[in-house]
Amino acid sequence: MSVNSVPATDSLRPMTSVQVDQTREFVASLDEKSETYWDMVTIGDVLSRDLHLSAELVILYADAVEDFNPWYEGWLMNRWHMEGESPFGGAIVPPMLISHFVLSVQFDHTKPFAIGSIHTFHDTQIHKPVPVGSTVRIQTTAVDKFTKRDRRYVRHEVEVTDVEDATLYLSETRDILSL
Amino acid sequence: MQTTPHGAPPVKDRITRGTPVGFELVGVKKRALIQLMGSRLWGRFNPNHWDPVYAQETGLAAPIQTGEMSTAYLSEMCVNYLGENYYRNARMVCKYVSSTQANDVITTHGVVTAKEPKGDGFRFTIDIWAEDQDGQKKTVGQMEADVDV
Repeated sequence: MSVNSVPATDSLRPMTSVQVDQTREFVASLDEKSETYWDMVTIGDVLSRDLHLSAELVILYADAVEDFNPWYEGWLMNRWHMEGESPFGGAIVPPMLISHFVLSVQFDHTKPFAIGSIHTFHDTQIHKPVPVGSTVRIQTTAVDKFTKRDRRYVRHEVEVTDVEDATLYLSETRDILSL
Repeated sequence: MQTTPHGAPPVKDRITRGTPVGFELVGVKKRALIQLMGSRLWGRFNPNHWDPVYAQETGLAAPIQTGEMSTAYLSEMCVNYLGENYYRNARMVCKYVSSTQANDVITTHGVVTAKEPKGDGFRFTIDIWAEDQDGQKKTVGQMEADVDV
């Protein structure tokens, strides 16, 4: 692909004209509502969202990265829902699944979506296994905004706890590169 | 590495209290597929990850895989060697040093770099990284975990 020419929407995967149009409409809809993440965040902002870790969500995550560890299986084709088996009893959640969803908290979903931002770093403490079926509270605190080599970064501290008994599952430092 | 019948992390090759510094992990290998890069759970919310037009408009040569996907690959490798020790009192650090583009083939690597006594066992530190088919590193980091503590 040449960086000097505009690539075709379907240059990486086959599409019909209908699919191309749908794609362009979708991207345009994001752009119309967005602002940069840098401008969206103020140091000291605290955001929180609850995430239900359904068996289907776990499978959706794991399949997309081709991780077929049966410890994550609280759902299987044909058998559908099941307790699952792991060294901790039933099925457990891949810890980095929750780490991935930190982004959805940091992008305050009550504000215009900040597309074009990229994760660059995380330091994740895994405290305890998370059972499939749990609901966790992901709380993020914006702790720093800085520029490094002409790039703008926002840093957050994160805690992930069980909504029922406040078990601390995960804590994290995470950086996002903003446009 | 011996595998178990249903794909669970193998027991035989787990890192144990006897594993020495310098031990090398056998990683996992994946192709970065644009269809997965743009799935709803992964990159769809940010067209940098799947749309060649938007990627170029924001200064990228092509869509890039969200770094979390290579973190997931590294995580899978670590689980294969740490088993349940990966899920408690562990630490995983990743820095995305270069972007992964569609069709890149990513292989993960790990090597034990430290082994410190802790409780009745040891705290292991493993340098981990993911590199492409040309040997260029994409993600680098460390995994720490307790064994027999």
